[in-house]
Amino acid sequence: MLVKGKKTLFQDFYFFETLTGMIITLKEFFFGTKVTISYPEERRQYSERLRGQHYIKATNGVENCTACMLCPTVCPSECIHIEAGERQDKEKYPKTFEIDILRCCFCGMCEEACPKDAIKLSTIMEMSTSYRPIYDRAFLSEQRGNK
Amino acid sequence: MPKCVIDGREVEFAPGENLVEVAKRAGVNIPVFCYHPGLSVVAQCRMCAVEIEKMPKLQTACSTAATEGMAVKTQSERAIKNQKSIMEFLLLNHPLDCPICDKSGECDLQDQSYDYGSPYSRMTEEKRTYIDLDMGPVIVKNMNRCIHCTRCIRYGEQIAGIHEMVAIRRGNDTEITTIDGKPLQTAYAGNYADICPTGSLTLKDFRFKKRVWLLKRTATVCEGCARGCAMEAHAENNIVYRCVARENLEVNQYWLCDEGRFNFHYLHETDRVVEPAISSASGLVITEWKAAVDAAKATLKGRKALALIGSDLTQEEAKDIQEFIGKSFPGAPLLHFGTPGIHSAREDADEDKILKRKSKTSNLHGFEKLGLKGFESVPSGTEAVIVFRGGRAMLPKLPTLPTVGVGVFKKQEADKFATVLPGAAFAEKSGTIVNFQGREQKLVRAILPPGKSKALSEILMIWSHA
Ligand code: SF4
Ligand code: SF4
Ligand code: FES
Repeated sequence: MLVKGKKTLFQDFYFFETLTGMIITLKEFFFGTKVTISYPEERRQYSERLRGQHYIKATNGVENCTACMLCPTVCPSECIHIEAGERQDKEKYPKTFEIDILRCCFCGMCEEACPKDAIKLSTIMEMSTSYRPIYDRAFLSEQRGNK
Repeated sequence: MPKCVIDGREVEFAPGENLVEVAKRAGVNIPVFCYHPGLSVVAQCRMCAVEIEKMPKLQTACSTAATEGMAVKTQSERAIKNQKSIMEFLLLNHPLDCPICDKSGECDLQDQSYDYGSPYSRMTEEKRTYIDLDMGPVIVKNMNRCIHCTRCIRYGEQIAGIHEMVAIRRGNDTEITTIDGKPLQTAYAGNYADICPTGSLTLKDFRFKKRVWLLKRTATVCEGCARGCAMEAHAENNIVYRCVARENLEVNQYWLCDEGRFNFHYLHETDRVVEPAISSASGLVITEWKAAVDAAKATLKGRKALALIGSDLTQEEAKDIQEFIGKSFPGAPLLHFGTPGIHSAREDADEDKILKRKSKTSNLHGFEKLGLKGFESVPSGTEAVIVFRGGRAMLPKLPTLPTVGVGVFKKQEADKFATVLPGAAFAEKSGTIVNFQGREQKLVRAILPPGKSKALSEILMIWSHA
C-alpha cells in the first residue's frame, strides 16, 4: 500500500536539501583534491600484472610455443586459432597463430594454461584501431613485453 | 556361476576370465599397460598387480584367472605402493613432451600417471634418447616415449599376421623397432597407433592435425568393404579428422584396415562436386537446385532409361530409389554396382585372413536382400542413364549416353555427365547397412553434407515436387 506523506508546499521544494548539496559540490570543486588526469599528456602508473596486448615469448630467437593448443582450448572467447606444423629445428611449431583480438576479454587464462611460458599478456593497454585487427604470428612474435 | 569378491563387491565370472575383465564388470578399474583384450597376455608391465587374500605376493590381475571365493583388493596399501613405483619406473625416461604429442588426451600413460603416479620425478640423470626411424607411410615412431609394453609386437604377430616389430637390446637400452629397420608392411598398420598405450606410435596422417579432446566422436560403421567394421569418426567443425576402430567382437574385434581407416579423405577432397551442376561446352557449370533438377528431368524425358545404384548406399536410400524409379520411370531396369568383377553377394569372399572382403562397398548384401540385381552390361535400347552413388562404389564403364548423376562424384568422374545432383557420403547421413554376415548396422551422421549437397530423400522430394 502506498502511503502518501503529508508535506507542506515549502517542504515540497526541497530548498535546504538542494542548497546543502550545492555547497558540497562547490567545496569539492574549489578546494578538493583532483582525481582525474589529462590523458594522454599525463599517464598513470599501472600494475605490472596488467593484462594487455598479447605476444609470444621467444628464447634465443625461437618462439617458446609448441602449438599444444591449450590456450585455444581454455579461451572462453574462442578467439585463438592455431595451426601446427613441423620444421627442421623444431618438431612442432605454430604455423599460424591468430588472435581475433576484438573477441578477447583479457581474462589471461591463455597465459595461465600455457605449459611453455609462451603466450603472454604484456602491460600494453593502448591497442585501439579503426579496423578489425587480427593479430597474426609475425605481430605476436614481437617481444613487446616485460613478463 | 562362480563368484569372487573384488574390493568388497561380489561378482560372477565365467571360468577362465582374468581379474581385469571381472573387475571391470564390478565397476573397479585396474590400471593396465601391456594387457589388451585382443592380444595374448604377457604380464610384463606389472601395473595391474593386486593383492589377493591368502597369496603372499602381489599378483598381476591380467594373468590371474578368477577362482571361486577369491578375495581381491585392488586398493590395498601394497597394491597402491606398487602402482606408484611402477608409474615412476615407467616414467623414468619418458620425455615431458605431452604438449607436442598427438596421443595426449587419450594416452593411457598420461591418464594413469595422473591417477596413480606422482607429480614429481626423482630422476636427475640424463634421459636416454633414440634416433627416429622411418616406419613407412602410416606410422610415426618416437621411441623416447615407449614403455616396452610389447603390445605392438604381439599385435603384428597375432593379428596382422606378420612379425615385423621386434625388441632389440635389453634392459634400459631396449628399443622397439622393425626387423632391419624396414618400413611397416602390413595393410593394417593404423592399429599400431590405436593400441600403443603411449605416444610412441602415432598416425602420420593425423600428425599435428588436431588435439584429440577437441574432436567430437561419432560411433558409426566403416563403409570400406562388406565387413562393416565398427568405427568411430572424429570430427570438428564439420571436418572429419580421423577414424579409429571401435570394439565389436562379432565383426572386427578391435581393428580396422588402413583402407577403411583412411577412406574418409574423399569427403573433403577439393575436386568433389558439392553444388548442383549441368554440362556445357566448357564442362560442368554450377547452377541452382531447381535448374539442375529441371535439366535432369529433360535429359531423361522420353528416353528409355537405365538406373544404376551404388551398393554403398543405405537400405533406406535403396528403398526410396526403388520406389522413385517405379513411379517416375516405370519399367526401367534398376541394377547395382560397386566393385569391378563382383556382381552378386555370392561372389563376395574374404580378401585376406584378417578383415577385408572382396566387395569394396558396404551394402552389397543388403541390396541382394532387397532383390536388386548386379549390373553387368548395358541392356540394348538404353537411351539414358541415371546413376545413384554414395561416393565409394567404383563407377562401371558407361557408354556415352546422356547421364544424370545423383550423389557423391569427383569432377573428373562427372565430367561427361549431363547433370550432377550432389548428395551425402557415409559420414554425412544416417541409415542401415547390412554386412556379409547379414548383420544390420547403423551408419550415424558425424558431419553435415558440404556445400549445397543434400540428402538423397531431399533430392528425390525436390524431383517429385519441382
Ligand atoms: S586473455 Fe582470455 S579471452 Fe583473451 S585470448 Fe587469452 S584466454 Fe582468450
Ligand atoms: S611402441 Fe607402444 S605398443 Fe610398442 S612396446 Fe612401446 S609403448 Fe608398447
Ligand atoms: S597389464 Fe598386467 S602386467 Fe601389464
